[in-house]
Amino acid sequence: MHRSLTPTFLLALLLAPAVSWAQQQKAPADTSTRHLRLREVVITATRTEKALTEVPIPVTVVSRQQIKTMGALRLSDVLGEQTGLNVVADHGRGIQMQGLNPEYTLILVDGEPLIGRTAGTLELSRVAVGNIERVEVVKGPASALWGSEALAGVVNIITQKPQPGTRGEVRLRYGTNRTADVGGTFNLKQNRLGITVFGNRYSSAGYTLQPASGQATVPPFASYTGQSRLSYQLDDKTTLSISGRYFIENQRSELPISTEGGQTAPVRLKSRQQDFSLNPTLTRCFSDKLFGTLRFYHAGYRTQENYTYTTDGAYYDASYFHQTFTRPEAQLDWRLHPKHTLTAGAGYLLESVEATRYDQRQQMRSAYGYLQDDWAPLPGLNLVAGVRYDGHNQYRGQLSPKLSGRYQVRPWLAVRASAGRGFRAPDFRQLYLNFSNPAVGYSVFGTHQVQEKVAQLVTQGQIAVDPATGQPLINAALLEQASSLTAESSRAYNAGFQLDPTSKLRLTANFFHNDLHDLIETAAVAQKTNGQSVYSYRNVSRAYTQGVEADARYLLGQYLTLSAGYQYLIAKDRTVLAQLKAGSIYRRDPQTLETIRLREADYGGLYNRSRHTANVKLFYENQAAGWSGSVRGVYRGRYGFQDRNGNLILDAANEYVPGYWLLNVAAAKTFRQRYTLQAGLDNALNYTNPAYLSTVPGRLYYASVAVALGQK
Amino acid sequence: MTQLFSRFTLMALAGPTLLFNACSKDDNDNEVKPAEALKTETASNLAPAPGTTNPTTGQPGTPRHYAFYSLANKSTVAYTDSATTKWDLAVRGTTILVNGSSSGPGQGGAIVKEGLFSEVTTAPTTDYKQDTPTAKAIPTGSGNGWYNYNSTTHVVAPIAGRVLLIRTATGKYAKVEIVSYYKDAPATPVGTEPSGYYTFRYVYQPDGSTNLK
Repeated sequence: MHRSLTPTFLLALLLAPAVSWAQQQKAPADTSTRHLRLREVVITATRTEKALTEVPIPVTVVSRQQIKTMGALRLSDVLGEQTGLNVVADHGRGIQMQGLNPEYTLILVDGEPLIGRTAGTLELSRVAVGNIERVEVVKGPASALWGSEALAGVVNIITQKPQPGTRGEVRLRYGTNRTADVGGTFNLKQNRLGITVFGNRYSSAGYTLQPASGQATVPPFASYTGQSRLSYQLDDKTTLSISGRYFIENQRSELPISTEGGQTAPVRLKSRQQDFSLNPTLTRCFSDKLFGTLRFYHAGYRTQENYTYTTDGAYYDASYFHQTFTRPEAQLDWRLHPKHTLTAGAGYLLESVEATRYDQRQQMRSAYGYLQDDWAPLPGLNLVAGVRYDGHNQYRGQLSPKLSGRYQVRPWLAVRASAGRGFRAPDFRQLYLNFSNPAVGYSVFGTHQVQEKVAQLVTQGQIAVDPATGQPLINAALLEQASSLTAESSRAYNAGFQLDPTSKLRLTANFFHNDLHDLIETAAVAQKTNGQSVYSYRNVSRAYTQGVEADARYLLGQYLTLSAGYQYLIAKDRTVLAQLKAGSIYRRDPQTLETIRLREADYGGLYNRSRHTANVKLFYENQAAGWSGSVRGVYRGRYGFQDRNGNLILDAANEYVPGYWLLNVAAAKTFRQRYTLQAGLDNALNYTNPAYLSTVPGRLYYASVAVALGQK
Repeated sequence: MTQLFSRFTLMALAGPTLLFNACSKDDNDNEVKPAEALKTETASNLAPAPGTTNPTTGQPGTPRHYAFYSLANKSTVAYTDSATTKWDLAVRGTTILVNGSSSGPGQGGAIVKEGLFSEVTTAPTTDYKQDTPTAKAIPTGSGNGWYNYNSTTHVVAPIAGRVLLIRTATGKYAKVEIVSYYKDAPATPVGTEPSGYYTFRYVYQPDGSTNLK
């Protein structure tokens, strides 16, 4: 079955009569929120175009129309309202999927990763949604296709492709906190040439939730996004497409810094972040059976932070972070049979980073290959098997298999299940950090160089000596573990069903279990003479997340769609569970000061996870009359914030943040199919929790106007 | 961690008065128990006198001396007696000393044991660690000995379920559980309270046996 593609064979295919397979594959993308049965096509699940209703793994699609009706501006607005996704803040706003932190979800734009995770989280507000065709969210590990980071899942932002004709749109929006969004799109397609251009300026005066702190929660900022795509049909079988992106954000803030004398001095922070990418892609239909793609992707991410004293402008501190990502990749899709497609791909990745806290410019290289077999052996049955190998110059190679299947039991019932492995490579920090705190005196070294750095400190006499043995206080076992750092990985299982009891109602549910291994933690590897420690990283913890996600969608008449979603989640650290079983975790009653031994039932699991999350949405869409509107309620149940009673685990009532609802409303009217007015209100209940929720400002009003240009 | 240390110097010494009292929590129980049953004592707010106030900042400096305590006499001991065997425990910041080896002339040693205070009924006779210039019998550092430090809230919390088995200066045995690091043992410290004020429960066996029931 897996015949190798020999040169002769390839040549034969090249010479075979050309029939445009891509044309046959193309199905109209459904942009309506209403119709349940139209063939929506997704690309992220199998890296080939496939009908959403046929993919064997859980995929959520958010269409352009839905994004417009929501009044969303940034990717975080869109994702935060989807079932099973929580926007969480940790050095930036990211997405928590299946109970896993933001660094475990891969974020792609047209299949290529966004970079710039300085501390793990990729800031989702960097992505404007004005030119998005749809957002695809794949849940469960997808490392078998996408490699590192795709451990919890993948978010793929599909931008608009050139459509026939010449048209454009300009948009202006203004709202609370002097938040302004101005932008436009332009589209041209004639004969062989297609062009799209997107430009956007997004700015805000920010907001302050805790005035007493003397610091803005979100300081004023302004950002610009430019994105463009050019496609050119070289011949009737070959298309060249070039995409580019540029983003820049400037932010200014003032913050009080305590000086050595014990006083505070105001310091001004000017920060700038930029990202850019260039992505030429060549696609060719060799025959109606063989389709090839060659992609090249180069991206950069840069930040610069300058701190100066407000009074005299003198230098206080400065830092920068520069990252690049370069990747050529090739993929072949070979349709053996209408019901059987083989996909094979390979690529090479070169990453570099240069930053204030790193010794020098650091480079990582990896090469990978993947293979997928998408087969429908029986009517209604679809099996997809895939495997990917990632070889890396810094840690051991990763083999990621995945098997998934879907079976249409009855016309109104389909079941699907999948099992796979996901991984996340150690990041730059964990490999290369070289940081010593000048004030306190502790040091943190990346695992790549920790042995060398510790040896250096020993010769400099900076490592404390054990008086009994005369040996330096180094934990050799931990140091060894640090030096052999490997990727974090998971084994995950998903199973679910889709039920269509009537033409108006659809119910879906998915059960998931992620078994996580080798999670990376800091470890004190040596003790310094100043009483501080030398830290590095090692693979240590084991954890699991599991739960169920359910969605219901009901058509209430011709124009109204009612939907509801719910997720139940359990996420626990296995080390803590073992300690609880052994009876070695305790709690002291804060009033009586009596100590008790904790049981498994007292353990609330990993921090920042809500057991219950839910949403209820009502969408109205009447294109003929030009009216659209939505009311969306999003609930996040209580979740653990931090330990307060010193036993390091989540167990006491005061360690939780209370649950809350966010209610968002928007309405729009289109006149003469050209002018659209929209007004909206986010967080209508005006919910805030200044101490624990920095990302939720109060009530936000906005109004916008959009004008469509050119041919309709 | 910068903040941790500035807070230590700032807070540990903010309260100029040394409040101290020993009282029994188990008075009622002990009246009906046989005479040989040991009482659980509680010592509150054991803290050293603050250092000289920095004239430019107006903030108190690091204490010059430790605060010394005698488990046998249930009372504090003046630092002028620090070179004697009159004291068993001494505290300053998050460091606890036992009277022996590098810290004093006594036979003092300690074992940090995991368990419930009430479940420790017999003192071991061996394996006591002693203070050295670089490492204390009761290890310092978050998670190493008797406390956890939360780098977000800067709160130092005594680890629940840690019992300090003490061999005293005169070679007697005792068990100690530290229950608070903040002045007057607030139920939920937020980290800004005066710190370095030890509240601890202990049982001291005066007859030299290992019975700590």
